[in-house]
Amino acid sequence: MSWTGHLLSAFFALCLSGTIAAGLLSGRRGPMALSLTGFLSSALLLVISGNVLLRGTTLEVWLWELPLAGRLLVRMDVLSSLFMFVTGMVFMPVSIFSAGYLRKYLGRYSLKTFGCLYHLLFASIVLVLVAGDVVFFLLAWEGMSIICYLLVNYEYREEQNIRSGFLMLSMGEAGTLAIALGLIIVAKASGGLDFASLKVGSQALSAHARWAVFILTFLGFGVKAGLVPVSSWLPKAHPAAPGNVSALLSGAILNLGVYGIIRVDWELLGMTDPAHGLVVLLVGSLSALLGILYATIRNDMKRMLAHSSIENMGIVTAGLGAAFVFGSSGLIPQAGIALLASLYHMVNHSVYKSLLFLGAASLDSRLGIRDMDRMGGLARGMPWTSLFFLVGVLSISALPPFNGFVSEWLTLQGLLRIALLDSTAVKIVFALCGAGLALTAGLAVTCFVKAFAMSFLGVARSEEAREAREVPASMRWAMALLAVCCLGLGVLPTHVIPVLDRPVAQLVGASTVNALVPPFFTVEKGDPEWDEAFLSEFHDLGAEVGRGLIPGRGLVVLHRGTERNPVVFAMSSSYSLAMLVLLLGSAFLSVWFFTRSRKVVRRPAWDGGVRRLTSEMTYTATGFSNPVRVIFEAVFQPSKVQSARETVAEHFRTAIMTGPAEETHLLDRSVYGPMMRLSQKVAQGLARMHTGSVNAYAAYVLVSLVGLLVVWLLI
Amino acid sequence: MSKWVLKGLRTGIVTTRYPGSMETSPGVSPGRPVSTVLRGQRGLPEIPSCPTGALVQRAGKTTVDHKRCIHCRRCVRASTPFVEWEWGYEWAEWTSTDPKEMEGLGPSFSRSLHIRFVDAGACGACMSEVAQLTKPHYNLHRLGFFFTPSPREADVLLVAGPGTDHMRRALEKVYDSMPTPKKVVAVGTCSLSGGLFGPSFASEAGVTGIVPVSVGVPGCPPPPLAILHGLLVVVGRRPATSLTDATNQMRGDSQ
Amino acid sequence: MLVSEIPRGGIEGTLRAMEGRWPVQVALERSAYLEAAEVVCQARDLPALCEWLCSELHYTFATLVVLEEERGWLLRYVFYGGVERSLLSLLVRIPYWENSVPSIASLVHAADWHEREAEDLFGLVFEGHPKLGDFVLHEEWPDGVNPMLRGFDGSKPYPHRELDPDWRPDRIVQSPGAFVMPIGPVYSDHAESAHFLLETVGEDVIRTIPRFFYKYRGVEKIAQGRRVEDVLLLAERFSGTSAFAHSLAFCQAVERLSGLQVPERARMLRIALCELERFRHHVHAVAEICSSTGLGVATSQASILEEELLRLSCMVSGHRYLFGLNVPGGLTVDLTERKLTLLQNGIREILKRFLDLEDMLRFSSSFLDRLEEVGIVSPHDARAYGLVGPVARASGIERDLRKVLPYSGYERVEFRVPCELEGDSYARLRVLFREAEQSAQIVEDVLSSLPQGPISNTGPTPTAGSALGWVEAPRGAAFHWVCLEEDGVVARYRLTTPSFTNWHGFHLAAENFAFQDFPIIMASFGLSNAESDR
Repeated sequence: MSWTGHLLSAFFALCLSGTIAAGLLSGRRGPMALSLTGFLSSALLLVISGNVLLRGTTLEVWLWELPLAGRLLVRMDVLSSLFMFVTGMVFMPVSIFSAGYLRKYLGRYSLKTFGCLYHLLFASIVLVLVAGDVVFFLLAWEGMSIICYLLVNYEYREEQNIRSGFLMLSMGEAGTLAIALGLIIVAKASGGLDFASLKVGSQALSAHARWAVFILTFLGFGVKAGLVPVSSWLPKAHPAAPGNVSALLSGAILNLGVYGIIRVDWELLGMTDPAHGLVVLLVGSLSALLGILYATIRNDMKRMLAHSSIENMGIVTAGLGAAFVFGSSGLIPQAGIALLASLYHMVNHSVYKSLLFLGAASLDSRLGIRDMDRMGGLARGMPWTSLFFLVGVLSISALPPFNGFVSEWLTLQGLLRIALLDSTAVKIVFALCGAGLALTAGLAVTCFVKAFAMSFLGVARSEEAREAREVPASMRWAMALLAVCCLGLGVLPTHVIPVLDRPVAQLVGASTVNALVPPFFTVEKGDPEWDEAFLSEFHDLGAEVGRGLIPGRGLVVLHRGTERNPVVFAMSSSYSLAMLVLLLGSAFLSVWFFTRSRKVVRRPAWDGGVRRLTSEMTYTATGFSNPVRVIFEAVFQPSKVQSARETVAEHFRTAIMTGPAEETHLLDRSVYGPMMRLSQKVAQGLARMHTGSVNAYAAYVLVSLVGLLVVWLLI
Repeated sequence: MSKWVLKGLRTGIVTTRYPGSMETSPGVSPGRPVSTVLRGQRGLPEIPSCPTGALVQRAGKTTVDHKRCIHCRRCVRASTPFVEWEWGYEWAEWTSTDPKEMEGLGPSFSRSLHIRFVDAGACGACMSEVAQLTKPHYNLHRLGFFFTPSPREADVLLVAGPGTDHMRRALEKVYDSMPTPKKVVAVGTCSLSGGLFGPSFASEAGVTGIVPVSVGVPGCPPPPLAILHGLLVVVGRRPATSLTDATNQMRGDSQ
Repeated sequence: MLVSEIPRGGIEGTLRAMEGRWPVQVALERSAYLEAAEVVCQARDLPALCEWLCSELHYTFATLVVLEEERGWLLRYVFYGGVERSLLSLLVRIPYWENSVPSIASLVHAADWHEREAEDLFGLVFEGHPKLGDFVLHEEWPDGVNPMLRGFDGSKPYPHRELDPDWRPDRIVQSPGAFVMPIGPVYSDHAESAHFLLETVGEDVIRTIPRFFYKYRGVEKIAQGRRVEDVLLLAERFSGTSAFAHSLAFCQAVERLSGLQVPERARMLRIALCELERFRHHVHAVAEICSSTGLGVATSQASILEEELLRLSCMVSGHRYLFGLNVPGGLTVDLTERKLTLLQNGIREILKRFLDLEDMLRFSSSFLDRLEEVGIVSPHDARAYGLVGPVARASGIERDLRKVLPYSGYERVEFRVPCELEGDSYARLRVLFREAEQSAQIVEDVLSSLPQGPISNTGPTPTAGSALGWVEAPRGAAFHWVCLEEDGVVARYRLTTPSFTNWHGFHLAAENFAFQDFPIIMASFGLSNAESDR
């Protein structure tokens, strides 16, 4: 076994020891130990996966032979190592965060249970990622689902949480069944149970079988990824789960759904039918749009973030779908770009969503309320939390210089390459989905401006918000770490893309780095790979300037129309960072210099001359998102609002009481509602069989026996 | 859509040329009484009391305190008129005699001035005259003056009204919210002396007690040209009346 | 229902019916043009009587006058319009120690604000009124201090209770996420000071809570103890844009009190100048509506006409806003032939351009979109709130004081009272245009047949007593109640202005419409805070 294998075993040993330690230690030391072991194990995981990612070597270890199941295979290639890296990136700050956060459960719930489950979850996620054959994969998947359910349902005394957890478990199980069924269909046609033989075997499947496998596995993994129409569990699970578990759920576990889709639908089945890709693209765009629509009108912060996770997973899936379509149409470079954008977005989402969830958990632990209508003015009492939350909000709104901008930009660019496709129908679908994603981006800005402004800015709207204090240091450091990652992923994409290129190259078959990050700033003039005229034009623009001082490559989306006249946008991103720092710095300096003699006078905000601006005179979260609610009324269809008007005497109305508008989710109305009604009708129809008389039952037995005999005779 | 453009073009320009040249159209100003020297008339009867105490007769000369005059014309319609009526409109005057104050806001504001108007209890007439400033006949935008809804961006606070009790706090807040340099121009007799309404339990004797007034434009109501004159005085583009009145008085003395 | 039904038997029948049902003492005074009835009734019968008058006989509530007497209060509820050319006053005497009177606000909703004002300024308690307090006097005034009482010295500023009292808006809407959007008192480029609290859940205004009286100057208190000449100045100048109308109402009250006959020429000229003021106000109101919808050229066009009218007024009368013209007994100056011709030609020419503007506005669909079906006041609500003026006429209430209680020679002038039924902003705009057209026509008719003669009659000093003067001001019906003492000094001066009546009903129009419609609805009402707050 290589070093990687040894380190992997060490990782599992660390997780196990963490579990045991959590089980033994009690009281206050539990969270400290958990954060320490969590930190160490995630650090180790980062080292392992980083190593494999950068070096590109695959690890394969055959394990024991199980009866009926064949030999279990541990396989770690660049794709799994990417996902493992992301998992480690999320687990590390969450572990640090837990040191301070778990204190709120002291005395109320068992921290030992939490610690055990935490490490087991970590281990099970990694097991899913290194599983190399079907049995191992399904076992690990099932174990991960159950442990996840146990963690989400941690606060089991609340009635609401039990129901949400149950919904999550049942939908997860349904998904697992679908995955298992799909994998079995493929396994029947192949020789062995490991993924390599499945890949060979899948080529022998008929078109119908491929469709069946695709639909089953896509929907099955879609449950875990939080895609419409099987995402109903996610908005309920997040508010139920403890704060740090929410961050893990959105940051690490949703990614496993994407991993499954890539592993099974892309790698196993291969890219042959563009229709598969269109389905993925449509489902992704729909999830994105629906997710952000519901996120914008939600006032509960965690529910809003859950819907936003659906949105982001939708964007990732849409990118995947575009990559499928390009790949099966033979446009390999474009497929690579779309796939890279999608993976980049997944990485970014993990980072900034964890940051946002940790911020929400900080607020929850300090204030005890999650309703944004009752927050406000928190920036004064919690300056660091608001700063980091602001970084998260800017990232998710896709604003430079943070990471969300890079991945959304690349995704949209990838979708816009319609001209290269043949079929008009496909082009129309691409255009519509591109428009849908653009709308999503706009709505996301609305949603998160509301989230930040209504919670942190303005005037405090409740007693709890007025008395908020800053969170302990461990929680702040965790958020700071993630905020720095957000910034780093945003200003240094040219260093990230070559790393992400490795799994993309494995999947697509060609490297896409040069399409995205041509080495204009590092290559010499006489380089044979590049056209002389092309290069010199670029060098004349000053690509050589400061080459020795500032390292890094330029970020480009290169449209190679013709060899002669490419359209190029380029700027070395390290350059732009340096220029940004320089310009901002000099701007600040000059302003300070020219105004240092002026006096600054502070006055209260101008309020129209009212005597006092009270908290009820400021915008609420409901009011801010009301326009969206009104414009998209056809989607939300709120039920008639109960409005009671108390009248003392005619014309003297003393109270107009409007209850909250009750809404059922669009999916519940259009998918689950009819399904439930249908099954109820069928059940009612069948219930008529239960007449209660013994004679009837005897008759049933007779009829079924006769029927079976007839059928057996016929076959 | 184009019909409105054509309509506007057909109507042409009706804007006054003031301060480029003096406006001579009839009806732009109600006029006001001026201090008169009465010659060759002995044994004048007692002047009927001016309802606001604006007229004082002393040593054969009737002085008019413009800050109190409300143009009721009882003095000029009396059987023996003892004031003269002038039909001008350049009525703005500095409220202090400090030469540093009288420099105004300075040259950087003379063609770019932002004004916040506050109604401290004015009757509709002063408000209507102020509103006419933005209308085609007077159009203060051509002078670089603009009304702004936010006091944070305002340089001049234009106040009308006697300073009612309930508006006191709001007026103070507006003045506080304005960044320096700032000046206050008080429009109308009510804001300079309380007019008919103050001082009483419900209003002050003008707004001079609430905010420091630099330029006062007397009149009831001062015509839009007088208010323009007041704004031009505060940015130093026109001289104030107190200087021209002195010249007139000297001319009267020497006749 | 456009015209109120007139019961049989005239006012005598009404009085007899009243005597039959309640213990009252009636007194009827007849003159050439008016029947004025005074009914003294008991406080406990007041609600029933008022309801009977308003809902069955269709009288309109005009004003509530509170007089402080030696041993108690005298409340005078004035109604008009049930029978043509008649006024009916209900008098109620309350002894000091009782200090409370049943409220009629839920039956006659037009009396709501009158009762609240009386409670704030006099300390009277109106039993059954659900919302007393925080009306005229804002939160700095301590409880129990009532400025209109005789013992309160109104000539000095009153030191307050605390500098920064705690006050929260009285919320009506209780809905999750509802909040209150404050507007004012200092807002917009140049607008009158008033405070609005708009309760909303984000897009639509659910309820408007206005706070007025930021411009309260205590005109009624200042007038006490002053001579008639000085109070005439107050009546003229408390609301400069309807100065002529209010000074006319005051003069008519004094003339009625002293029996002064106004010469015919003066009466006709008063009509002409009244209509000139009305025309100018309506042009201004149209300019404001165009400005609020952002139609720049139309605003400029209407403003040009308004300034020309102001200059015309100055050329004809010496003051742009017609100050200083009315005096008890007639006018202060006569108008020469030259000036009359100037006035006639000027109005004719401006009317033509004004109607051209109306034609262009009628076909500007983007402009009409902001006005049609926006700011609707239903006829039922308008009647219940007792709205007056063009606002009421746009909601189907045709009442106009020039027809119902003719004064100053209006009974001999031919004109129509325009009326619309929709009650939205567009209906109010149409009423403004039609009324302006009628005003110009009246001026034309009056000036072409102007009799010669003296311009004023001087009479003896007015004796003690009280009388009501009224006028159809540009914004609606205004009532001035003047009570004089022996030496011609004003003892009580009660002002009821059309803006006060109509601001009461403003919230009906502004509710359930979007924020952006709020300034347009306000402009379409064309009201004045100076007139309302006095």
